[in-house]
Amino acid sequence: MRPDPAALPSTVPERPRGQRMVASSTLAVFLVLFFVSTWQTGFSLSDLWIGTGDFFRFFGRLVPDLSYLPEVWAPILETLQIAYLGTLFGTSLALPLLFLASANTSTDRVTLAVARTVLTVLRSIPDLLYAALLAPILAIGPLPGVVALSLFSMAVLAKLGSETVEAVDPGPMEALRASGAGRNRVIVYAVVPQVAATMTSFVLYIFEINVRASVIIGLVGAGGIGEQLLARLNFFAYGDVSMIIVVIFVLVLAIDALSVWARSRLI
Amino acid sequence: MPAASTPHAPPAPPAAVRRANLARAGLVALILLLAVLTLVTLDLPPLERIVRGLRNNAVPLLRGFIRPNWHVAPLALSSMAETFFMAVIGTTIGGVLAFPLSFLAAGNLLGGTRYAVPGKTILVAIRTFPEILLAIIFVAATGPGPTAGIMAMGIHSIGFLGKIFADVIEGIDPGPNEAIRATGGGSLQVFLWSVVPQVLPEFASNLLYRFEINLRAATVLGLVGAGGIGLPLIQRLQFRRWSEVSMLLLVIVAFVIVVDAISGRIRRRLV
Repeated sequence: MRPDPAALPSTVPERPRGQRMVASSTLAVFLVLFFVSTWQTGFSLSDLWIGTGDFFRFFGRLVPDLSYLPEVWAPILETLQIAYLGTLFGTSLALPLLFLASANTSTDRVTLAVARTVLTVLRSIPDLLYAALLAPILAIGPLPGVVALSLFSMAVLAKLGSETVEAVDPGPMEALRASGAGRNRVIVYAVVPQVAATMTSFVLYIFEINVRASVIIGLVGAGGIGEQLLARLNFFAYGDVSMIIVVIFVLVLAIDALSVWARSRLI
Repeated sequence: MPAASTPHAPPAPPAAVRRANLARAGLVALILLLAVLTLVTLDLPPLERIVRGLRNNAVPLLRGFIRPNWHVAPLALSSMAETFFMAVIGTTIGGVLAFPLSFLAAGNLLGGTRYAVPGKTILVAIRTFPEILLAIIFVAATGPGPTAGIMAMGIHSIGFLGKIFADVIEGIDPGPNEAIRATGGGSLQVFLWSVVPQVLPEFASNLLYRFEINLRAATVLGLVGAGGIGLPLIQRLQFRRWSEVSMLLLVIVAFVIVVDAISGRIRRRLV
């Protein structure tokens, strides 16, 4: 039976005053921040419009030059190699660190605090910046790329991993401890089996991130396809540039799809 | 219980477990083999070149890093502020444009999964494109400066935010929608009084999360001339003025950590 419409209040009940205050002050803070930002950066909405137009016009000029394709393979392979090694080294470095950075497996509170701080600082620097920093020191080429990606992957993976480790069921850990196992055995037999699948999935995720990163670190001289992209762009060789962009696009898409498939089978 | 029935060695694993272990060992061997192959074929500089590079740079670098040059502090702060403002606008553009797209990409509101496919495809395509590549294209198309970086960030954020927003929309409780329809509400009322209140906290939380990502990304956009602290940084890197690089990095790290902490606290209260 439908209720008599006339008996129902005709308007939506008002929200409590406190809630309205929070909502409107949040909006006000955001609007002020946004307008200060546009004023400080000189950005205007018309730029958005003009920029989009320019962008599509630029895209219109990008016609892939298929004859350039054979020259893309070698740097693309190098890109993948950098991502692969970066992921592998980053993972190897992260594994011992992440247990030190988890409250339930760390050795003591000082180590925990130090490990967490180091990871937070390392994570606040983007991978491209590491590459830019390392390229002048380690010679232009894939080496600074590998080191940069290893460092960044280590920090991100250790952070994700320590969150997972902190969420494990403490039961098995206590059981092992009760039977006299030390810290290492507790980690190997009680924690690792619980986090292995999730960690593997994180490693695949890091590999995805690293492939994206290794595509661009060449811009700062750290190896991979980015170097060639920048060179062709400086020559205004748009046919070659768009060929490279297409290959990058397909590569990232393929790696993502592969990784998503592998991860869906893991968990 | 007799002592003999408590074996010292753990029982042998069943056949299925042994097979799984064997497969895992094979996978590890394959990964290591690939690593060795990669190391051998990768075009690495000779060891002596690496040692020379380290010897020539490591000491000045460390010396510079321990003593950040405070003369560049004002420049570091003002260009980091620009970076911050760029991230604010970029995230806002991304959020505003992702909002309608996410409803197209969600399979539950606008008439079924069939219609969601084009929306989802567009979002994947946008996400796949590296941000810095977009920045290069915008610098080439509209000229250098923060506007190019903002545009790149805005567009790239659409892909990420659109996907997350669509996931949130697909996860809403249909109960309130039906309740509003049952009391005679139309689509607009359902949208305003059921969908929006349900998705808003999650949307806001993910916007903040994306802002954290964008702030980090914005620090490197300057490397390709798209505004922000990256430009003064790369200039000093090229001339190996380590103490000035150190100051700029210090400001980046401090800024990013503080913004992360604040944003993280707000996000925990939101969801």
